[in-house]
Amino acid sequence: MKVNYYPGCSLKSTGRAYDESTRAVCAALDVELTELPDWVCCGSSAAYKTDRLLSLALSAQNLNQAAAAGFDELVTPCPYCFRRLKSADSAIKNDAALCRQVEAALGAHYAGGVTVQNMLGLLRYEVGLEAIQAHVTRPLTGLKVVAYYGCALTRPPALSGYDHPESPQSLDEILRALGAEVLDWNYKTECCGAGLSVPRTSVVVKLVGRILEQARLAGAEAIVLACQLCQANLDMRQHATNKPGAEHLPILFFTQLMGLAFGLPAEALGLRHHMVDPHPLLSAIPA
Amino acid sequence: MLIQLTNAPEVKVFRQAVMDGSGQNLLACLQCGKCTGGCPVAWAVERGPRQTIAMILLGLKDEVLASELPWYCVGCAICASRCPARIDFSRVAAALVEIAVAEGRAPAVGDIHRWEEIFLASVRRNGRVREVRAIIENNLRARRPWQDAFMGLAMFARGIFGLEDVLAGPAQSQPAVAKIFENVRRIRMENEKSEVRSEK
Repeated sequence: MKVNYYPGCSLKSTGRAYDESTRAVCAALDVELTELPDWVCCGSSAAYKTDRLLSLALSAQNLNQAAAAGFDELVTPCPYCFRRLKSADSAIKNDAALCRQVEAALGAHYAGGVTVQNMLGLLRYEVGLEAIQAHVTRPLTGLKVVAYYGCALTRPPALSGYDHPESPQSLDEILRALGAEVLDWNYKTECCGAGLSVPRTSVVVKLVGRILEQARLAGAEAIVLACQLCQANLDMRQHATNKPGAEHLPILFFTQLMGLAFGLPAEALGLRHHMVDPHPLLSAIPA
Repeated sequence: MLIQLTNAPEVKVFRQAVMDGSGQNLLACLQCGKCTGGCPVAWAVERGPRQTIAMILLGLKDEVLASELPWYCVGCAICASRCPARIDFSRVAAALVEIAVAEGRAPAVGDIHRWEEIFLASVRRNGRVREVRAIIENNLRARRPWQDAFMGLAMFARGIFGLEDVLAGPAQSQPAVAKIFENVRRIRMENEKSEVRSEK
């Protein structure tokens, strides 16, 4: 399978563990990733909130790049890029006046015709559980985890196009296929505070504290997720949540666990790029 | 807060501007409060989505644009997934920020807005956001340079970011992004001019 890949800015920087493990897992599954040439930032929440036209035009620039390169699908691991790219395409398609404004901002015609997909959606629904299971050489037997989806993967519900907005299953199903023990909990889609981590750290510390507490109550040994910003907040702000005697929980990308279950070397999966060291937990998995 | 309600035309103008900007039909709001009940930041601000919608419908423009919630909103869209009237309040919040910014109002939460400006300036200069540098710039301008300094060192030691993240220059795609920023600025100015003309 050939896939056109939009990593987004964070995956080239502090989210590199997600990028590295995604590439390793896709290679193992014979999913060939081609990075979108000259991709640009989607503008994230900063553009979305302060200047809608700018936000739409930045996404449209990427979708135009994809169309020019002959792609009909664009896949990104970042849930926020996913939401921005996908909502821009649908807004521009459904509003001719808006389309004209975006084209004026681009200085070019909006090509359209590129479907936007998320890496979790691609692996769960296009590659599929059977193919994933077939690659498992080292099942994650006995590893107790909770799946954390955050916000942008499944919401707003009309947009994301897969899974339930508040009780999603796709990540749980992948983790079960890897042999892990996936626990039920109530905080699957609670918000981690996202970009408030920089200007309003105290808000994120409070939200992250609740999520960690709920994961511990469920009996989880690690939280597994599909968003580099959720990962950064839960991993880096964990020490500030200050629960006396609380165990530190490793915060892992689902692609890292896929890689381990496929028997890929730990070094290829970015497992050293964590504040809470996952190695003690992962070395307990039977070889 | 005692508010004298009027039926002045500007009440409807603001309400309509928010509905147009957000694409949400606020007249369908049932005031049930599911949005505020699920909102992850309502506890941190003086009023949540439900009250904010009520105030928009009453035309309380200055009060709404001076409130903190639109800046705190991170767009999690839990409100959108629970609203029986299918209103996505995160789009309302974004429309309110956009109106306040376009009118040159002082942002109700200056430090959140400063982060958004630093982020976008980094995108404009580099084509892709240089997040490590943007965070350093934010913490310097917020006059709390040590806030994440130790964290930064620990992250560096674990290879979460490297020197190249601090030093990286513009991406090859930067000129395309600079052009988009410039075009958007020009379109805004032209729109403002034509609005002034139509008012005359």
